[in-house]
Amino acid sequence: MIFLRRQLPLLITLVAGLLFAAQYYVPHPASEQMLTSATKWLQIIGGFALVLGVTSLFHLHAVKIRRQEAGWGYSLVLYAGMLGTIAVGLWADGKESIEGVMTSFGWVYNYMMVPLQGTMFAILAFFIASAAYRSFRARSREAAVLLVAAVIVMMGRVPLGEYLVPLSGDVASWILNVLNASVRRAILIGVSLGAIALSFKIIFGVERSYLGGGKE
Amino acid sequence: MKGDTVTFSERMLKIDRRIIFLVIGLCTLLPLLYPVGLPIKISSEVRGVYDHIESLPEQSVFLLSIDFDPASKPELYPQAIALLRHAFRKNLRVITMTLWVSGTGMADQIVTQVAKEMGKEYGTDYAFLGWSPGGQAVIINMGQDLYSAFPSDYGGRPTKELPVLNGVRNLKDVGYMVDLGAGKPGVEEWYVFGKDKYKFELGGGCTGVMAPGLYPLLRSGQINGLIGGLRGAAEYEILIDHKGQAVAGMDAQSATHIAIIVLVIICNVFYLSLRRAARAQGQAG
Repeated sequence: MIFLRRQLPLLITLVAGLLFAAQYYVPHPASEQMLTSATKWLQIIGGFALVLGVTSLFHLHAVKIRRQEAGWGYSLVLYAGMLGTIAVGLWADGKESIEGVMTSFGWVYNYMMVPLQGTMFAILAFFIASAAYRSFRARSREAAVLLVAAVIVMMGRVPLGEYLVPLSGDVASWILNVLNASVRRAILIGVSLGAIALSFKIIFGVERSYLGGGKE
Repeated sequence: MKGDTVTFSERMLKIDRRIIFLVIGLCTLLPLLYPVGLPIKISSEVRGVYDHIESLPEQSVFLLSIDFDPASKPELYPQAIALLRHAFRKNLRVITMTLWVSGTGMADQIVTQVAKEMGKEYGTDYAFLGWSPGGQAVIINMGQDLYSAFPSDYGGRPTKELPVLNGVRNLKDVGYMVDLGAGKPGVEEWYVFGKDKYKFELGGGCTGVMAPGLYPLLRSGQINGLIGGLRGAAEYEILIDHKGQAVAGMDAQSATHIAIIVLVIICNVFYLSLRRAARAQGQAG
């Protein structure tokens, strides 16, 4: 049983990891066909992952409701929303509109989901302004540099800022294109090298946490 | 007197946040009601996308991936509308899709609305492939075989029967691709899993907060243009000479940016005056 739980997943990871790393450099039709099939599998697994995610969410909130934990009323709302949307979605065959005519699922989408998500995002502007006032302070030299750069970019990204300080647009553009791009690139290279190292550790079985901590 | 200043500064630093909310609310509302229409300068990033679409011959294949949900609608919806208007005006074959399941209905609405406005016919001039699960796997799958990733379009019609897709087997046959992304999968994924392997020209559009993160891709030529936030959309609307929601929203954005800058400056003035007072008190003590 240890073979099925430990050695087999490690072996599959090793073979799949090496195979698909090599595949990128082999343009042979057989290699391309293999990639086509594998990505099709990935899409199918992606679909199952969605079902798994919804099931897990249902389970989590069912426990909350059963135990009547703090905020369990919200879990009830979640249940009502999810089950209602699934029912309406199945009824409308998963389509928001059919030949230009809005379905009941489309109604839920347009008049509930769109305004709710829009409102949540719009509220951010108010909280960002409040947070900026409370915490964006020149406490140190580094913070002062950040503050000045932020003010210039904020000025340079809007017509009124460019109108008041004509140079702000060009300075903002320079900050974004030169300072920001070079630092971001350095971070990206570092992160990518880390990802490569981690991939090697997973492929060669050094990093095994993805196998879980079950009994041997 | 010094004590009074300290008290006033402290009081100002702890100002009721509802006052700040009111200021931001007014700065958003008033310019929308009374637009000023300040001139908007066109950036090279936005011009990159516009110029590439301008350079495409008629009937070239233009792929637009609408990878955002209603939360990012205020910034990315005007970008999508402007890009589609431009592509339809150029008589390109427009293929649209989404990698965000929660954005499917909105993407369908955007495409249908602009196509109707421009008098385009579904299947012949444009198609909406809908959503397919798998995120970046869909990109790779499209690079290998588009019909395997999307066997049917959003309406359930077999994609192989759509005349707009004639001669298109995979991403290599796409003339130009623009991703409007609000997160992952988005522009970066389209570069890493799409352009890098299948060698098509790629442009990007994103929310304002995401734009600085995509500048490395832009500067290295990995994407040939970037439409950033509402400002980017407004620039694009000016380039296609069709002012819309983005241009209308720029006055409000201008006012809120300036309001935040003024608030930050005020807060720092009070903060520094408090610090100076504390330092002077320490020296006296």
